[in-house]
Amino acid sequence: MVRDSSQIWTPSVIQDIHAKSDLGRYRVRGFSTFQRVPHFDDLVFLSTGLTRFPLEGYKEKCETRTVIGKRFASEPLVLDTPIYISGMSYGALSRTAKTALARGSAMVGSSTCTGDGGMLQEEREGARRLIYQILPSRYGLNPHHIQQADALEIVVGQGAKPGTGGLLMGVKVLDDVADMRDLPKAIDQRSPTRHPDWLGPDDLSIKIEQLREATDWRIPIHVKLPACRVKDDVKLAAKAGADAIVVDGMQAGTGASAEVLLDHSGIPTIAAIAQARDALREIGLYGEVSLIASGGIRSGADAAKALALGADAVAIGLAALIALNCNRAVEGVDFEKEVGVPAGQCHHCHTGKCPVGITTQDPELEKRLDVESGAERVANFINSMTMEMALLTRSLGKANVHSLEPEDLAALTIEASAMAQIPLAGTDRVFGR
Amino acid sequence: MVDLDAGTLTTRELNLKIKALAANGAEEIRVLNPQARHNLAVSVLAPCDITFEGSVGYFCASLMDGPRVTIRGNAGWALGDNLMGGTIVATGSVGAAVGSTMRGGEIFVGGNAGARAGISMKGGTLIVAGSVGFMSGFMMQKGRIIVCGDVGDGLGDSMYEGTIYAAANIESLGNDAIFDRISEEELISIWETLEGYGIKEQYQFRKIVSAKKLYHFDALERLEKTVI
Repeated sequence: MVRDSSQIWTPSVIQDIHAKSDLGRYRVRGFSTFQRVPHFDDLVFLSTGLTRFPLEGYKEKCETRTVIGKRFASEPLVLDTPIYISGMSYGALSRTAKTALARGSAMVGSSTCTGDGGMLQEEREGARRLIYQILPSRYGLNPHHIQQADALEIVVGQGAKPGTGGLLMGVKVLDDVADMRDLPKAIDQRSPTRHPDWLGPDDLSIKIEQLREATDWRIPIHVKLPACRVKDDVKLAAKAGADAIVVDGMQAGTGASAEVLLDHSGIPTIAAIAQARDALREIGLYGEVSLIASGGIRSGADAAKALALGADAVAIGLAALIALNCNRAVEGVDFEKEVGVPAGQCHHCHTGKCPVGITTQDPELEKRLDVESGAERVANFINSMTMEMALLTRSLGKANVHSLEPEDLAALTIEASAMAQIPLAGTDRVFGR
Repeated sequence: MVDLDAGTLTTRELNLKIKALAANGAEEIRVLNPQARHNLAVSVLAPCDITFEGSVGYFCASLMDGPRVTIRGNAGWALGDNLMGGTIVATGSVGAAVGSTMRGGEIFVGGNAGARAGISMKGGTLIVAGSVGFMSGFMMQKGRIIVCGDVGDGLGDSMYEGTIYAAANIESLGNDAIFDRISEEELISIWETLEGYGIKEQYQFRKIVSAKKLYHFDALERLEKTVI
């Protein structure tokens, strides 16, 4: 066969070189990695046959209640669903979007999370449960707000840009965003990546104790890790005293990241969950330390597979924004004219020109997102995901989503088998074991 | 004055007692035998006077808003971490990251401070009578750092705003930090501040600020050029 174009020097590679030869620096964009990597689609459930009985798929009770962080906290985080909204900052997102996410999460008995840049009062009032993040930047960190939180999350890093801090282009560092972060207006904010007051895991254990003392040991302390050296990191975070550990895979979304980090660092979420589960088992803390998975979770099927691999809960970011209308061709909005690509291909969160008012600080664009209907869509989406999870769980003959286990899964590819430590479909073989 | 003996209490019990006393209007609390323990007087959010009769460990008087804390001894890392308001005085020396991310209030260190003093400061004033270590004022955003002694490498690296005053030898300035002219009014203001802590010597300070050359990426994406 004679090919008509290079498989190495593809049009996108050529365009990338042209862009960088114009820019003289690395490229920055939002959304998530564009790499094709093994993902939840590469796993399938093995539903019931003669070896076990299904529950009535549409009727019988299936428990979705989820308790996070019961290791040391006297008031663990109790959610009606194992799906909550991950940390996305006010700044990356509009005030309207943050408020809609909070209210939507409350409507389904779940939680949202502050992200970098501090807590909005509308977010606290709208949310039933709120996770308050402690990031290296400490933008807007306020001990009075810590007292209002339902859990704290120390962010070591995130899957979309492991080993670096947050990034918020100057077009979004405006007025109260700049004020809340104590930053000059309109600067390109590049957040620190190391925490200012602790460095290694021994210090982290003291930091965790500090936050426990600040909250009288009431609420859970999470540690969020980018999925890289997962086994070691999870063990160290657990040993340091975390109640819950979030592993954020390389498919995680972002409002802005250097493209080179998005596409070339971290490991896929399915591999991260399997490694985190094994790490906790090896130190005897599986089931005691809650495991939360995030990074590219798009549906109830993805969430159910994450739980089957060993997670106790999942966090969604980009999927929640899409539920809010991200990339939707809404009436009166011309994506091509405003961001240069059609709806469905927009990844321009970093420009602040979000055509649907989600990742913007422009008051005119923000008007395109209505809080009430946005909250309704977020609630509908999480509810749909939860129902999908329950449907799959019943089809496996189980009455609790937390009873899902690796044995319920088969892998469709050798890569997924090796990464998730699941037998290849049609075989008993787990590759790499 | 209420005396609490840390030797007979766990850290958790001690902090609960301090917070309850502060919330109930106690004016003076004295902690005996602090044993250099970590996380003492964390997140006390009501005004009161707290005195530690001895050295303390990491994160003492952190996440705090309102109290006046005195440590008669040394302190570990991150003394006054994320201080919102109130004052902290350590008569001895302190470890790394004193005043990290502090947003208000004032911290005075009678001895020396370790590396990263005033890291990511967002407000308030940090005064060190002795010397500070490397990367002090790293990514500082607002506020004032006053150092009477020597300063290690990389002072004020990547600082956004805020001002650093240093009286003695500076090993090196960090990225984007530059010397600026200090005014007579500023010197007088610093001397007055120091006099409040019993330092009468009128040091000749140098002033360090941000050159503000790291505020922006030097080029925009082609798409951004069309939409911003």
